[in-house]
Amino acid sequence: MNRNVLSRRVLAGVALAALALTGCGSNDNSSEPGGSGGDSAYANLSGELKASGASFPDAYYQEVVEAFKGEASDVTVTYNATGSGTGKKQFGEGLVDFAGTDSLVKDTDGVAAGSFLYVPTVAAPITVSYNLEGVDKLQLSADTLAKIFQTDIKTWDDAAIKADNPGVELPSTPITVAHRSDGSGTTSNFTKYLAAAAPNTWKLGSGDTVAWPASTQGGEKNTGVAQIVSQTNGAVGYVDLSDAKATGLKFAAIKNKDGQFVEPSLEGTTAGLEGAEIAEDLSYNPLDAAGANAYPITAPTFIIVKTSYGDAAKAELVKGFLTYLLNDGQELAEEVDFAPLPASLKEKALAQVDKIQG
Amino acid sequence: MTATASPATRSAAGAPDLTRAALSGRRRFTNHLATAAIWLAVLLAVVPLALVIYEVVAKGGGVMNMSFLTEDIPNSYRRDGGGMAPAIVGTLLITGAAALMAIPLGVFGAIYLNEYGKQRPLARVIRLMADVMTGVPSIVMGLFIYISWVLLVGQQTGFAGALALACLMLPVVIRSSEEMLRLVPDELRQASMALGARKWKTTLTVVLPAAISGITSGSLLAVARAAGETAPIIIVTGIVFSPNVNLFDGFNTALPAQIFRNASQPFEAAQDRAWGAALTLIVIVLGFTIIARLISSRFAIKER
Repeated sequence: MNRNVLSRRVLAGVALAALALTGCGSNDNSSEPGGSGGDSAYANLSGELKASGASFPDAYYQEVVEAFKGEASDVTVTYNATGSGTGKKQFGEGLVDFAGTDSLVKDTDGVAAGSFLYVPTVAAPITVSYNLEGVDKLQLSADTLAKIFQTDIKTWDDAAIKADNPGVELPSTPITVAHRSDGSGTTSNFTKYLAAAAPNTWKLGSGDTVAWPASTQGGEKNTGVAQIVSQTNGAVGYVDLSDAKATGLKFAAIKNKDGQFVEPSLEGTTAGLEGAEIAEDLSYNPLDAAGANAYPITAPTFIIVKTSYGDAAKAELVKGFLTYLLNDGQELAEEVDFAPLPASLKEKALAQVDKIQG
Repeated sequence: MTATASPATRSAAGAPDLTRAALSGRRRFTNHLATAAIWLAVLLAVVPLALVIYEVVAKGGGVMNMSFLTEDIPNSYRRDGGGMAPAIVGTLLITGAAALMAIPLGVFGAIYLNEYGKQRPLARVIRLMADVMTGVPSIVMGLFIYISWVLLVGQQTGFAGALALACLMLPVVIRSSEEMLRLVPDELRQASMALGARKWKTTLTVVLPAAISGITSGSLLAVARAAGETAPIIIVTGIVFSPNVNLFDGFNTALPAQIFRNASQPFEAAQDRAWGAALTLIVIVLGFTIIARLISSRFAIKER
């Protein structure tokens, strides 16, 4: 407290210079479009929420934060896309009020078991993007995919690829495999899928990073992989749908559990979520889910919140924001290429939010 | 000592002809060659600088207008419009606070080292530590502040960023100021002492004004380095989308962090904002330089 009083005085001088610059910048919340003022269910909330975590759903969360400003003009929500690992760590250290994560909490993340709840938010497909001159439609089964990514298959006209694509003229271009060089939730989900769907073929294991063969190429973030694929004829890599679309890549249709080849799409993802088994704590795994229309490589993402905040106002804020995210916020998901939750899972998520204690 | 011999030899040979015409052909050729090489070196140094400035102005100039400087950062990278006001406020406050902490401490440190400590063991230890500190990578300094301050007070703040930047600036200020103080001729100090001034008075009114221009340059170098630091800001200050003028409460942000975040996005609107932020940062650092030059010229001893 003392420090704060002192700080205000010291600040006064420094702040003067800055004020001249901010002037009209700081108080334009009320002019947000869609602000329904007093009759909004969230209008009586006020305060500040800090969050950090996964960069994968960042585009979606920022859309929701922006829209939420219009509903609750006295609330400031800040989501800092630091990556799942950092988010969980900062949540455990008490620096943020909630965290976004693509992977489940492990013992080493510094978050005590039982002190937090998973709230599923959205999901998105991971595409197998490729760049092959003269080929606009490609179908791959899990076994072929596993062989391609561990470089057992070296050229595009390999018998295994031909078997998946009857009637398609395939060139003998060598295959360049592009993967993430940084630790990533996308790699984790992609390799988990291969381990689950092609258990006898896939040898590299799964995790945020795996030991890729030396002849493959690494790229930073989803955009880095997308760049390698877009620049190299014969390249193939795994990229999230949002970035793959923004880069203008072609994606392969993947054979799902029911034997259908499905292209990555939001409908296919939602279908995959419906076929997923949901655990008691709402952690779920939509990879290689059952269902004729389900796209098999789907990444879930969660927000983790405290079971008890020890501060009624803070708990109300978290509840308010997450309720908004799960109701009105879901409509924004498709605009930025994320799949909303199916109704059944959404109900469970809302019930989970209700468990948050003051 | 050896110089005493030369007047005698020179007077014996008569005044030597030092004009260029008197040089032999070979020497004239070497002279031209060396001059040309120096011009080439100047060009090599200037060309990248000019290219950088051209590129930043050409790409950042497009988004630069009043609303870019005064509006909030848009939450969505994909959206056009919005501005960098929070980052500009953050950069000014965080770098300003860091300079307020590091420059006085650093200059006092340099005065101790050069005027009082000299070669004493304590001074040697301080000098060694300052050199070691210069070599600490900025991200390590960010992590240090994260552990020793952010986790202690329980939140990421602009002040934490200022602390990290101050730690990065301090050794630069100490070492450059000390070098400048060392350049002040001892005769000035002796003259001042001879007039009866005490040591503190000599330091304050003779030594410091004589060295102020160099000290300013050194401090500016430190400020410019700090203003461009990205890693510690990202680690210890978090992020805001509307300006936060309170350094001690709540997240903050700064221009380099915004350049980093926006430039790595595949969306054109974000990349444009990154270029705009880069241009803003260059202009701010240039502004710091001009202001500091004006201040130092007021206090400097007028030449001749």
